[in-house]
Formats: sequence, C-alpha cells, structure tokens
Amino acid sequence: MTNTMPKIVRKTSPYLRRPNANATRMMRDVTIALLPVSIFAIYSFGLSALWILLVSIGSMLLTEYVFYQIQDKLQGESFKFKNKNFTLYNFSAFTSGLIYGLTLPDQTPLWIVALSGVLGILLAKLIFGGMGQNIFNPAAVARVLVVVNFATLATYQTNIDGVAGATALSFTNQNLFSIEVLQHYTLTNLFTGIGIPGSLGETSALLLLLGGLYLALRTSFEVRIPLMYIGTVFVLAFAVAIQQGLGIWYPLYHIFSGGLMFGAIYMATDPVTSPITKPARVYYGFALGFITFIIRLFGALPEGVIFSILIMNMFVTSFDYHKVTHSQFSTKRNLIFASVVVLAIVVTLVGASYVG
Amino acid sequence: MIKKSRQVRDYKELTRALPTQTYLDPEKVFIHLQNGRCKTYDLYVEEGDHVYFGEVIGVRHGGFFEQPIHATISGTVGKIGKKLHRTGRKVKCVEIVNDYKDTYHPTITDRPDHVIDALTQDEMVEILKQNALVGLGGSGFPSYIKLATKETINHVVVNAVECEPYLSSDYRLILDRPEEVIMGLKYVMQALECNHGIIAIKSEKNPLYEVLTQVIERRYSHLNIEVIKLGNYYPQGWEIEVFKSALDIDIPYGELPMKYGVLGFNVSTTAGIYNAIKHNLPVVERYFTLTGDAINYPQNYRVRVGTSVQDLIRQSDGYKKEMNEVLVVMGGPMMGVSTVSDDVIVSKTTTSVIVLENIGYKEEPCVRCGSCVYSCPAHLEPVQIMTAVKRNDKDQMKSLHADRCIECGLCAYVCTSKIHVTDYVRKAKKLIR
Ligand code: SF4
Ligand code: SF4
Repeated sequence: MTNTMPKIVRKTSPYLRRPNANATRMMRDVTIALLPVSIFAIYSFGLSALWILLVSIGSMLLTEYVFYQIQDKLQGESFKFKNKNFTLYNFSAFTSGLIYGLTLPDQTPLWIVALSGVLGILLAKLIFGGMGQNIFNPAAVARVLVVVNFATLATYQTNIDGVAGATALSFTNQNLFSIEVLQHYTLTNLFTGIGIPGSLGETSALLLLLGGLYLALRTSFEVRIPLMYIGTVFVLAFAVAIQQGLGIWYPLYHIFSGGLMFGAIYMATDPVTSPITKPARVYYGFALGFITFIIRLFGALPEGVIFSILIMNMFVTSFDYHKVTHSQFSTKRNLIFASVVVLAIVVTLVGASYVG
Repeated sequence: MIKKSRQVRDYKELTRALPTQTYLDPEKVFIHLQNGRCKTYDLYVEEGDHVYFGEVIGVRHGGFFEQPIHATISGTVGKIGKKLHRTGRKVKCVEIVNDYKDTYHPTITDRPDHVIDALTQDEMVEILKQNALVGLGGSGFPSYIKLATKETINHVVVNAVECEPYLSSDYRLILDRPEEVIMGLKYVMQALECNHGIIAIKSEKNPLYEVLTQVIERRYSHLNIEVIKLGNYYPQGWEIEVFKSALDIDIPYGELPMKYGVLGFNVSTTAGIYNAIKHNLPVVERYFTLTGDAINYPQNYRVRVGTSVQDLIRQSDGYKKEMNEVLVVMGGPMMGVSTVSDDVIVSKTTTSVIVLENIGYKEEPCVRCGSCVYSCPAHLEPVQIMTAVKRNDKDQMKSLHADRCIECGLCAYVCTSKIHVTDYVRKAKKLIR
C-alpha cells in the first residue's frame, strides 16, 4: 500500500449526485429561451424597449443585492462585494426582471418600471425569504404594481388603459364576438408578431413557442402547465365559437393574443410558484386557463393572464396540502377532473350567452 | 431539470469486464459473532483450538431464529476482538489464523443427485438452516424462512438486476458460474413445487443473457426457466420493481410477495443455496466488488467470508495518491453505508466496498422543480416531506407516507439543487416511527 493514507470521512447515502444537476442552469435557460423574444422586442419597439428591459432587470438585481447586503450587515458580517448571501449568480432575479420587463408596454415611464420592479421583488420574493420561498411570482406582482402605481402616482392625466390596454386583445372588449377585430390584425400578424402593438414580449407567438420548445427540450420547465393552460383557453373559446356561430379564428385569436402564450410558457411555469406534483400541475394549468378565459369574457381586462397567475399562486399551497396531494394520477381522480372540465365548459357557455 | 429521471450513471465499466481475482488464502479471517439481526451468541471454541474448514464454531441468536457460525478456513482460533460492522457499531469477531491446509470438516460432503431429487421442502429448509443461509445481497434475512413458506408460489425470481452503480459482483458470479445460479434456482423450484423460474437481468447486460440462455438451452431446457431483460434504470433491482416489470404483479405497500405467489432471491443467495444443498457447504466465500474512483485497481474478488477489507485494498494497490478525503462505502453508492474506517471485514452479506473521492456538493435553495417527486419509486413527495421535517410537523410526515420510503437515494441524486433530500426523508421516517 502506498504510504499516503487519505482521510476517511463519513456521510450518508446516496454518495452520488446527478451530473449537471443545477438550479442555476434551469433559471438561465429561461433567459436563453427569452433572448429571441427580447431581441425582437428591441427590433420592433426600438430603444425604448431596451431601456425598459435594462431598468426592469437592473431594478430587481440591485434590490436583491442591496437587500442581502443589508441582511448580512445586520447579522454582523463585514462588507464584502461578493457577500455571504450573494445570490445573483443563480439567475433567479435576472430572469424575474427580464420576464417583468417583457410584460410591459413600450411607453411605460421608466421611473414606474424601476419603482414597481423594486417593490415587486421586495414584496413578492425577498421578504418571503428569497429564492424558493415565495408564494407569488415576482414578475407578475411587479407587473400589477405598474398598473397600481400608474393609477395612483402618475401626475399627468392618462387613461390607465393607456398603459395597460394597448394590446391587440383590447379590441375584443369593444366588440366581443365580431370578426371585426381581425380587420385590425390578421392571425398571421398575431402569430409572427409583425406590426402588433402591445407589451414587449407578448407579441410574437412564434418566438415564444420557439423558446418554449427550447425549454421543453432542456426539460427546464413543466411542459404540462402551458399545454393545459393554452389548451383550456382554446377549448373554451372553441366552445363559445360554436355556440355563437363564430369561426376557428376566434379560439386562435384568443390563444395568440393578450400575453397568453407569454404568461403560459414563462410565468405560469415558474416552478417555485406552481404545485409540485404532476397531476396538480395539470389541474393548475387547467384552472389558469379557465380563470383567464372567464376574466376575458366578463372582466374585459387585458391583464387576465397576469391576474389568473396571481390568483392561482394563492391556491398552490392548497394543491400541495398534505392531505390532498398525490404524486400519481388515478382513475378516480381523473374522472373527477374530467367532470370538472365539463362543468367548466358549461359554465363558460352559460356565461357567454349572457354576455353575447 | 424537471423530469422523471431514473437514469443513474453506473460506473460498472470500472470492474465489469475484468476477470475475477481469487483471494482465498488470507493470513487470517475474522468471523462476526454478532450482526445487524443477531445481538447475542455462543462460541463453542476457545483461543488456540484448531478448527476445520466449514466447522460450526458457535451460534448467533436472532429474534426469532438461530444461526450456526461456521469457520471459513481451517486453522487456529485466535482472539476475540471488535470490528466495525456495516451497522456502524463495533461488533465482536473471532479471529482464525489460516493453516493453509483447508482441511474440510467431515460434514461437508456432496449429496448425490438422486438424493437431492428426493428432498422435500422441509428437508431443504433444514439443510439451509444448518448452513446458515441468509439473503447474501445485503438483506441478511434468513433464506430458509423464506423457503419454508406455505403459500403457493407460482414464480421464483432470481434478482440479478444489480441496479446500484459501481457494483458488478453478481454480474461476475453469473458470468463465472452460471450453473450454480441455475441449479440453485432449480432446487428452490423443486422445494416450492413451482414450475416457473425467472432470472431477471438488466437490459444492457447482454453477455449475461447469452451465457444464461446458452447454459439453460444446452443443459436445462427441460426446466421452465426464463431469462428476462428488465429496464436499465434505478432502482429496477428493488424487488417490488422486479416483480412489476418482469411479471406485471403489483405488490401493494406493506404486503409480502409470497402472498401474491412470487418469491425473489438474490444471485449470490441462489448460488449459496446450490452449494448448501449440493455440497452441504455453508457460505464460506463470496463474490465481492472493491471499486470506486479513489482506488488504484478496482476489481472483483472471490474471497473468504471474514477477509479483511484492508487486505483487499492492499491487493488493489491502495488508495490513489492524489486523494485527500475519501468515503469508504459498504454496499452501493446509492444505499450503502459509509464507515469511518477501512478496518472492516467482508461478511456474508457484504457485496462490495466502494472507495469514493469525497466531493462537497454545494446545495442551493430548493426551487420546487418537482424532479424528486417525479422520480421517487415509492411515489412519495420527498420535497414536501423535507418541508414537513423543517417545520417538525409529524402529522404532515405521516400523511405524506414518509414511512414508505425505501431509502433508495434517488431523490437526492436527481435533486436539481443537489440537496440531500434523502436525509430529510430518513429523518422523517425516524421521527414518525
Ligand atoms: S429515498 Fe425515499 S423518498 Fe427518496 S426517492 Fe427513494 S423512496 Fe423516494
Ligand atoms: S428538493 Fe430538489 S428535486 Fe425536489 S423539488 Fe426541490 S430542488 Fe427539485
């Protein structure tokens, strides 16, 4: 035997870890998936888009950094540029900032972007204890704060819709079941995003899907959530289309507009704020789709997607409640779920006939 | 990554293709007088006595069974000392100094085939009992108790899946001595009057498939023995998974397979059954994998039960020079036990020792990705159990069924944030016991 005798340490099994297991990689993938969308946003909206993105990302990163610096200080750590709780490397704040920025319309004033960004990450994430502890999606919270801030703080008289309503969907609000909406934008326009006003990242369904495909291939998100989400909106809209005698353009129009693609692929899939089991994620996606469609039908709010995500975020703990959670599908629960789906369609149709 | 992942890198290439090294002449052996299941013992011999190979030198008392202790070499009885056991405690061991003569004890005689053919279940059970046959795959559960079942058994399964990474001793055993395994299975089938035998292997282990089918076709074609290739994932070797994949029989949690007409044996155990019945030989030697990335020459050994692992590490040219900190793991890297010292011995149930470089994994916060939930073979929600442990909420641990965890280690292996989830689940198991 060689003379060098290594030290024998004791641990508990398992002693191996999956190579490439990496939380940072997952967050970073979302950023990569959003690159084409961001570039397209800057291309179509110009410099103002770039500024919004820089400010939204910057505000979130800076807030998180300063927050942990202060926390370390309070715990008696001496100042280091890269402090003990340094978290920016994990791309979590960066991703939130980017997503947040992409949900904003291009004429949002920068100071509102910054203020809402700071408050958003602080209230939604940091005070809950940072990454993995938050209940609400920070980007969605920040996005809602923009509306609130704009309403309460903006000194000049602009309609709130001036910020929030400039999406293609706002035309449906005027004339709910009329094909006239498509006189403004064709489906192809909506799909490719060319010539569509709206939030920075919500315009090109094509690029959003491309990013989604990338995430699916890298298994960096749960593909069931967006599939169920978009699928549900499609099915509900399709049912309404049949009832009202509308064409296939109606459901297509619903899934291509109003940030549905964006929200479904990039916001609803945030693992921290979605349920933990496979079945619950399916139900979650369905519930999101249902709420979104109902909001669109009755509330005429362009932020239907954001609100449904925040509403459903609240219910994640109920999905995961230890007495109801199941990691497997079962025939009985599938049947219950199927009945809920049928019920949802009926409710939607009844609702639509009143609105129509 | 968010996905069900049961692929575990297997590292078997380190040892699988290498010939088995025979190391049957240790200077001395150490025989465990106690083990995980047996706390008390009687020793029939004293220091200085001469013992024969295969002689009964004492008896271990378990809760509901007794186990004769056999000498695995011939020689002189030495001191009684204490050695570290897999359970982490020090247990008493008796030392036997080799006289290199291997004088057999008179009880070790071959049984002619016509005698064997006439053996009944009870007689076979008695033979296994005399030879102290236990689950050699690591469980240590007495095989004769299993074999004594009064349930109707429709399928006997030899579990040769060996899904733990790094291990290849079962693989080598089948490759080197396929007949012993097949004959052992034949005897079990005879005892249980069962006419369907299965040898379950991993799908990628094709050499085994060829070896086994060849031997079966040539010499045992009259027996209804099937070689079945199962999935190449972890933990396919878990008995419940084997029955499910090979026979499509679902054994609900907490129930015994026998009730469902199946009975499983490990490869080494099956070979041990053969030796016990054919040669009236107790478990005196075994196949043993010594491997890992921190050792110079990983390979499989055929050793006497009671051989010192330190001897074997020396045989493998010791630890690699550049290693500062290593883990010495008895069993596989997913479920094995890490010891504080390499001064351990190869007991009947020790399949392997793996020496790994100690890597400090950096844990990140849980991102609730769900990979652990998707992957858990027992269908638990490890991350939620972890949260319950952090909150010390026992009700929650119970309703999340933490007690059903088989400690396969997959949740920690797949964890996106490299969190030692298994440890939390283990803690929960202890808390609610
Ligand atoms: S160690 Fe337990 S909880 Fe973790 S994957 Fe295995 S069975 Fe499931
Ligand atoms: S414990 Fe690990 S694998 Fe399980 S959800 Fe959290 S990060 Fe994912």
